Amino acid sequence: MSIGVEDKAHDIMESAVSFKIYVKKACETCTLLQPLIARLVETGQATVFVQDDPAFFSPLAIDDSTLEQSFHDDIEVTPTLLKFADGRETDRVFGWDRAEWRRITGLADLGEDLRAFQPGCGSKSREPGVYEHLVARFGDSGLESRKIVITGFEDPLEAAFERGWTDGLPVIPPTDERILRMLGGTRRDKHEVVGRVPPNLSPVTIEKIAINAVMAGCKPEYMPVVIAAVEAALEPVFTMHGLLCTTCFSGPIIVVNGPIAKRIGMNWGMNALGQGNRANATIGRALQLIIRNVGGGIPGDLDRSTLGGPGKYTFCFAEDETDPSWEPLSVARGLERGENAVTLFQGDGIQGVVDQRSATPEQMAKSLAMSLLAVGHPKLAEFTNAMLVLSPEHYAIFRNAGWDRARITAELHAEMVRPGAELVFGAQGVGEGIAADRAGEMVNKFWPEGLLIVRAGGQAGLYSAICGGWTGGRFRHESQPVTRRIAL
Amino acid sequence: MSTTTVLRDPTAEAAPVRRARRTPPWSLDDITVALMDIGKMRGDEFIDRLEQLFEERGVATKRWKKPTNTRTAPVEMLQEIAEEADVVVVALSDCGSCTSCSTHDLNDLDARGVPGVSVLTEEFRSAFAGQCETIGFDGASIFVPHPVQNRTTDQLYAMAENVIEDVICAITRRK
Repeated sequence: MSIGVEDKAHDIMESAVSFKIYVKKACETCTLLQPLIARLVETGQATVFVQDDPAFFSPLAIDDSTLEQSFHDDIEVTPTLLKFADGRETDRVFGWDRAEWRRITGLADLGEDLRAFQPGCGSKSREPGVYEHLVARFGDSGLESRKIVITGFEDPLEAAFERGWTDGLPVIPPTDERILRMLGGTRRDKHEVVGRVPPNLSPVTIEKIAINAVMAGCKPEYMPVVIAAVEAALEPVFTMHGLLCTTCFSGPIIVVNGPIAKRIGMNWGMNALGQGNRANATIGRALQLIIRNVGGGIPGDLDRSTLGGPGKYTFCFAEDETDPSWEPLSVARGLERGENAVTLFQGDGIQGVVDQRSATPEQMAKSLAMSLLAVGHPKLAEFTNAMLVLSPEHYAIFRNAGWDRARITAELHAEMVRPGAELVFGAQGVGEGIAADRAGEMVNKFWPEGLLIVRAGGQAGLYSAICGGWTGGRFRHESQPVTRRIAL
Repeated sequence: MSTTTVLRDPTAEAAPVRRARRTPPWSLDDITVALMDIGKMRGDEFIDRLEQLFEERGVATKRWKKPTNTRTAPVEMLQEIAEEADVVVVALSDCGSCTSCSTHDLNDLDARGVPGVSVLTEEFRSAFAGQCETIGFDGASIFVPHPVQNRTTDQLYAMAENVIEDVICAITRRK
């Protein structure tokens, strides 16, 4: 570089003008521009910030491996050249664009030996997960929830237990970084109030949902499902308040329909009602944590369940929609095929149905009906709803005979009509039962809409599962399952 | 203290940040009071007198002593207290490490169903408050004059006599 060129640079760059250049060693374009950038630095008006290797450009450069400066200057690409006049940014150019660099620096001979254009690389501050970390560390997260400071060597997982935030299992500590990433999974405004969560009827914002979803272990892409589940639970007809406080076993069971189930990796196959799938496990858990933490539904306080049930940790699965002959639950409940939806059912843990002998649909219907009659109590009728989870092998017996959902449902109901005289209080030597004045009637086990059938499970096994419904279902119009579209 | 983690409150924020301690019983009738000696020198003399004062009032007590004031109590000891006692008096903290450890013990026992009170010297009022803040626990405390190490036994007994009624209030719902 000649003395003459330097003088010229000083002439052009008046003292009020300065430049910042962001680079990283791993960027080929940055390496290419090394001599040119050195020349700009020598003018005394340009500062170089290095994102990765502090030795790159040493000693000219400022180490920005924390990415704090990159974050504050909102750098998306390396190299980026920024021009400041009187401390305010007036111009910036990404990558190598000779004409632009010349215009911005005013150095007409800049990069004479280089090609006219070469794109840069992504800024390290924009790598996946990094941006939220930087917002949490250096920026304004915009989060409004109260800060809980954990100092010293205390374990944040233990701190969450201490504060009563967990269901008895460890939770992921809800740091700003994680909450911001979770909020990235929804377009909804974080301060939007979604509803009021019982029993304390406390308002729940998208932010509170995100915090609890973090703790439950959700991925951001589950957020639309979690939000829909919360909204469904808060619909008055779902009676979440009573369901939470009940002495019964029940809790919300979430069934997910539509392409989102596959997109977020939910399980509807082998062990669908069991452990081992992150989406199934954490979506159901997030809803329960929201009820606990936001609503104040603490077992032993207002959650008065006599025995509870393992489903109260989490109970969420997807329906198997891979068989086109099967009408999905959400479609039976009024939505279009292919629409993403959650259905929330007030239910208990499962009762297995083992039938490896029935071979005709008639036999199968009778067989399933026998088990369904035991829901709640064999002598109770129109007292609860029920969810039948039909396995592929059991369903195949119906399908091969041409029975669809409507036919199966109708035949099951027909098999569950019994003489009232056998069911009234005291009949069959059992006190429990139905009112004496119904002795002369033929009585249905469930309301016509009270039997929900879902298809799920592994390909092998002549078993199905019944989730008994909550006793609140006896108030036919006051307490019902809820199906809700998932807004993406 | 090297690190700080900031979490966000997942609750409706209707309750204070600190967890309230477990509600103590109405009275000490049919109650066993655990007297937990944190293992600091001279504390045993203070507790000897507390034990007598409880006995005079017809209150059953049982004593435990930590192997060292510089660590939290062994889990077996905490389990034993939870099994055999209903409320606890933790005494007598007059240093930094014993204040920190005994506050953890108080919190741990509370979580195990044994509400209690910690007796400390005035000098460690802020240390107790700070430790409670960190673990998010609204612990109960009673303070006696500092120091205790250079007192006579009679003076330590007098300290116990001065605070016995406050201690009883702290481990019951008596005002």
